[in-house]
Amino acid sequence: MSSESNTGARSLAVKLANVTKTFGRHTAVNDLSLAVPAGSVYGFIGPNGSGKTTTLRMILHIFHPDHGEIEVLGERSTRAANDRIGYLPEERGLYKKMTVRRVLAYYAALKGMNSRDAREAIGHWLAKLGLEQWANHKVEALSKGMAQKIQFISAVIANPQLLILDEPFTGLDPVNLEVLRSAILEQRRQGATVIFSTHDMTMAEQMCDFVFMIYKGRKVLDGTLAAIQSSYGADTVRLRVEGGAEALRGMEGVQIVRDLNQCQEVRCAGDPQDLLKTLAARTRVHLFEAARPSLHDIFIRIAAPAPGEASHA
Amino acid sequence: MRKTWLVALTEYSNAVRSKAFITGVLALPVLICLSVGLQYFGQKNVDIRERRFAVVDRTGVLFPVIAAKAAERNEKFVTQRGADGRSVQTSPKFLPELFDPAGTGGGNADVVLSERVRREELTGFVIINTNALSADGGAEDGMSWFTQTHTYSELPDWLERTINEEIRRMRFEKAGLDQALVRKLTRNVPIKRLGLSKVDAATGRVVKAKEMNRFATFAVPAGCVFLLYMMVMSATPVLLNTVLEEKMQKISEVLLSAVTPFQLMMGKLLGATMVSFTLSALYLGCISGMLWKMGVLNLVPPTLIPWFVFFQLLSLLIFGSIFLAIGSVCSEIRDAQSFMFPVMMLVMLPFFVFMPIMQSPGSSFARWFSLFPPATPMLLLLRIAIPPGPPWWEIALGVALTTLFMFGCVWAGAKIFRIGILAQGQAPSFGKLLAWIFSK
Repeated sequence: MSSESNTGARSLAVKLANVTKTFGRHTAVNDLSLAVPAGSVYGFIGPNGSGKTTTLRMILHIFHPDHGEIEVLGERSTRAANDRIGYLPEERGLYKKMTVRRVLAYYAALKGMNSRDAREAIGHWLAKLGLEQWANHKVEALSKGMAQKIQFISAVIANPQLLILDEPFTGLDPVNLEVLRSAILEQRRQGATVIFSTHDMTMAEQMCDFVFMIYKGRKVLDGTLAAIQSSYGADTVRLRVEGGAEALRGMEGVQIVRDLNQCQEVRCAGDPQDLLKTLAARTRVHLFEAARPSLHDIFIRIAAPAPGEASHA
Repeated sequence: MRKTWLVALTEYSNAVRSKAFITGVLALPVLICLSVGLQYFGQKNVDIRERRFAVVDRTGVLFPVIAAKAAERNEKFVTQRGADGRSVQTSPKFLPELFDPAGTGGGNADVVLSERVRREELTGFVIINTNALSADGGAEDGMSWFTQTHTYSELPDWLERTINEEIRRMRFEKAGLDQALVRKLTRNVPIKRLGLSKVDAATGRVVKAKEMNRFATFAVPAGCVFLLYMMVMSATPVLLNTVLEEKMQKISEVLLSAVTPFQLMMGKLLGATMVSFTLSALYLGCISGMLWKMGVLNLVPPTLIPWFVFFQLLSLLIFGSIFLAIGSVCSEIRDAQSFMFPVMMLVMLPFFVFMPIMQSPGSSFARWFSLFPPATPMLLLLRIAIPPGPPWWEIALGVALTTLFMFGCVWAGAKIFRIGILAQGQAPSFGKLLAWIFSK
């Protein structure tokens, strides 16, 4: 199921080999191996505190692993590749008292861009994201969505070969979300490798070539969405029946995974055709669709607390 | 180095564009102008209300003199001629009245007069005891001044001076001594304060000692230390706030994806140093201009400037790296306060020992305190500024120890900064900080 088997001869943008990172007695990342193919969109998912951000920070060499090796853009265990990486942290970090243009010029210069190229790139990106009129305003004057777009520009301004985005869509309205999504995909089309962490499973399903899930510091999923879904079987049925979820309760071999009010997702132990016959005898069936388990479903199966165990979130 | 320089330039640019910098540049001149202006205003707006006071004269002979002297003072010294030629009252009139205790109807004089003071009919009252005139003193000796405004001292001072002059005159008269002769014999002999004479090696002639100037011996050393303190305090504690702010707003995480923690810290330190040197260049330029205008610039030894710059650099690197380390380990300003106290004690230390060292710059007290590295920049500069200065070996030892200490602070600060800048939650204990310093 690992992405390594899917990458074949493709070069790797990031390779982690048996990486472990501890903080005091807490093991944040445990013996993690990962291969991110160049030019792919790689989704990091996992519950809060599972080790996603620590892994991203190790790829950036902000943290150093206690064990294992990390190779980024061909550079092994050094920060030499950092100027070719764009980073959008989980919480936004912009100087509030600086103007948008100055803060972007500063971040571009830190990534090794000369001032003329930076000036051009700033103009290009501000125009692209509809923020040109804000160029000379202080960051503190921007709305949350605008600040998030500026933070994104700071990550892509230097044309990175690897783009690491930690929760890039948090707090965005649908319009800004679409703007950012298309900008990310454009980066990928231009050859950049994109790693992004998210709690939005639908977004991960739509955007990612590969999905990696970390849970309690260990890798629990890694591969293409289709491969992951196949490995979790075809026992999921999406249906809409008269009487809703109540009509399904007590049916032998049927487990309601998600009650979405207008429809339900269930997992059936036997043949779905038998389930359809039983349901038709009980009530009116408006929708019956055999489906693969969604990423959300798989996530819940892995990370849902066992009865009596506290949630991570 | 390019990235360190880039961080430094951005820090510098952010700092000099801020309101805090403009306030910092204007703070000293504004404070001086305010102080001079308020003193001038205070002198021009003296409370000139009449000061009425009672005298209980148990000697029976002093009140007429007090009344006469008060009248003379009110006539001659209370008013001054202004620039426009008009007389302006610049001091209150003193109006004494004799109080006869027999007239109280058996009441206690001080109680009766105290009541009048409370009712603000009098500023106060003086009781001159029976034996005040006696040269031998005795049980009923001396005088007492009663008032409810002890902060006002002009009147009791005048009374003490005037009555004592009269008592002395009476005593000499009683002893049969001529007043004019007494004044001659008791004349003070002033002392001139000079430097040292020397023989000119070229001409062989004796170069006479020059009269010492109070400005050169006191104002120059004190001014140097005060200015150095100002320059350190205007640039280094700010580092704590900027690092803390960047940490709280997660800016440091973005920066650390592009620079190493050491580059970030050194960039900030360099930026703060540049800000401080900009401020000192402005101040030293203005002060030199003022001194030149006043004709006293020649009293400032030219060698002081390079020493000032050198010790400023050492102080900035020492305290800058300490404040940066503190800022990096805290997640909120409340955490920083517990670390600030001991550091502020170190910064303030030279001021606690400033006066004894000014008085005796060659003492072992001065020597050992000025060799204590955190205090060396200010105290050694102070001793160098006071002629003839400390011996060369003390300067060399002080410079060597402080330079080593500076490297130690930067090294330890960088070790703490590296871990602290990404640490979250409660600030670590001093023990944990030590562990961070010596961790690999």
